[in-house]
Amino acid sequence: MQWSKFKDKDLVLSLAHGIKQKAKKFDRLRIMHVCGTHENAIARYALRDLLPNNIKLLAGPGCPVCVTSSKDIDAIINYGIKNDCTILTFGDMLRVKGSAYSLLSASKLGLYVKMVYGLDEAIYYAKQAKKDAIFFSVGFETTAAPVASIIKSVNLPENLSFFSVHKYTPNGVLELLKAGKLNIDALILPGHASIVSGLAPYEKVASSFNLPCVAAGFEPVDVLGAILMIINQLEDNICKVENEYERLLNYEGNKLAQKALNDIFDITDSIWRGLGIIKNSGFEFKKTYNYLNAKLKFNIPFSDSYTEEQKGCRCAEVILGTIEPPQCPMYAKICNPHNPVGPCMVSDEGTCRNWWEVKGDI
Amino acid sequence: MTFDKITMDHGSGGKLTLELIENIFKANAGLDSAILGDIAFTTDSHSITPLFFRGGDIGKLSVSGTMNDLLCVGAKPMYLSSAFIMEEGFLISDLKKIVQSMLSEAKSANVEIVCGDTKVIESNKGFYVNTSAIGKIIRPIDGSKIKEGDKIIATGNIGEHGFAILNERENLQLTSHLASDCAELTGLILPIIESDLEIHWMRDPTRGGLAMCLNELCYKRDFGVEVFEELVPISQEVLSISEMLGIEPYYSANEGKMVIVVPPKDASKILDLLHKHPLGKNASLIGEITKDHPQKVLLNLSYGTKRLLSMPIVEKMPRIC
Repeated sequence: MQWSKFKDKDLVLSLAHGIKQKAKKFDRLRIMHVCGTHENAIARYALRDLLPNNIKLLAGPGCPVCVTSSKDIDAIINYGIKNDCTILTFGDMLRVKGSAYSLLSASKLGLYVKMVYGLDEAIYYAKQAKKDAIFFSVGFETTAAPVASIIKSVNLPENLSFFSVHKYTPNGVLELLKAGKLNIDALILPGHASIVSGLAPYEKVASSFNLPCVAAGFEPVDVLGAILMIINQLEDNICKVENEYERLLNYEGNKLAQKALNDIFDITDSIWRGLGIIKNSGFEFKKTYNYLNAKLKFNIPFSDSYTEEQKGCRCAEVILGTIEPPQCPMYAKICNPHNPVGPCMVSDEGTCRNWWEVKGDI
Repeated sequence: MTFDKITMDHGSGGKLTLELIENIFKANAGLDSAILGDIAFTTDSHSITPLFFRGGDIGKLSVSGTMNDLLCVGAKPMYLSSAFIMEEGFLISDLKKIVQSMLSEAKSANVEIVCGDTKVIESNKGFYVNTSAIGKIIRPIDGSKIKEGDKIIATGNIGEHGFAILNERENLQLTSHLASDCAELTGLILPIIESDLEIHWMRDPTRGGLAMCLNELCYKRDFGVEVFEELVPISQEVLSISEMLGIEPYYSANEGKMVIVVPPKDASKILDLLHKHPLGKNASLIGEITKDHPQKVLLNLSYGTKRLLSMPIVEKMPRIC
């Protein structure tokens, strides 16, 4: 079959060789990426197997489904059932459990939930619905920006509102580092999300924590290229933000998308599943858009006491890179893609799901 | 896995479908058709959205799928029955188009449609077609002769039906050229069945795609499968849509392809025969049977690394971003 040049075999093997040679100087390097699509590419092309043993490639909190709080899932389920609303959201979100139910399993209790591919489709379904429709708006700046931009540009049906659980990657990473929760030597930055945010927000990450940061695309050449750039920085004893994904990403990011985000959302504190409240890491509607904010419009009640994780689930440790999926006792035994106990087994971006699919029950 | 209710995943063609057949229906899960002496018999029900799609419609699909199931066990398709369950309000003009497709596909397979049934149900309940067929066994192919070192052939580019349907059903507008590969394969496969070349196993890789088909090949057997990524035929269109959606082509359905297991001595001759037919022009040897990892399908990547091509459990969803 024909692959793009970013999958080129000779280039990939040459990069892997370069990494092996240069990595000899280091006892151990822990490199974390913060994008589920990176984990998907790494697993799919078995890129970890091309790295020497002293380089650990860790999956960080980069899957939007995995970091969505069970408290938010509980709230939307409870409200939807009690008030007979249509809940619209992405397919990946349907199977993630709150404290008791996922959106999908709650449909047996009477919740009407419809999978959509994007906000434009949600608008279409809301127009068909005769009752209130709530878009469970999930994802990092990659999805938050299109949502903001569509809100600005189209006439929304009056019965459609939004339950935003959007997260902002740079601040999430920064706060986790401040809290000492990430034991890493370097970061691979998310290519797609950075196309929106640009790379400036990561300068503080690189300088304050002495971490080489390289934004990368999602092909094998991108990931290995980023690792080599990181090693080069470490070799030269420098820590800066670099861009491997120059074909699509520029340092400033997408100004139009940033303006749309700034126009619609404020940056607020946000709950990340298993990690608690992270300061300035979420997107919430500005006051002028309160009429679109389902949490306020409908006064959706949140439970004060809730179980953040299913008992025994170690997803939080997986997304902090402290354990690998097989170290969780439930992995591949009672937790699998059909019956995901924890969120990391749900999405194609989830670390456990990716490991399960390409490594099985090892 | 145990369940108290049917879920959509039980119909996905993946592991749960297989378990349903084994645990509830008790049918012979290894074959697509029953071998009854010198007669093969099979049945299949069809529901699809949209009913009309680029490359076919539910009529063409219902005949081709059933013909291909007969071919899998080494039979020459002979006679077909059809049953329609139609919602009230269904357009007669659409029904005519569907029936015409069925007749055309049956003619292509040299098969006679000999009986049928019609039921009308309440409006908005859908349109379904069941087809059953019998064929004459030319020589039985049941998988019992599979050996280590046997070669695995795919008769053409994979993944086209699944992505074409997804593109149209969800109005993704990601590609304007991709069409379903929906086709009956009598003209392609019958000459091989009728030749003196050995065939150890055949299966049309429909729901669950190539990955499911290969997992079924080694399911509960004492051998495994090795596939070579660089040898799997995939069109540029499918690769592009696959990258866009984050779903690998190995998991996307096919409706006009066959996976054939043959002894090494006959592999190149069978490939030559396939290449002579338009539906087999992209046929490729994609892998082999191994004793190294029983019941597992390993994908050999071009970089020299390996990974599992797992049996799908849930329907693949496009990723969020």
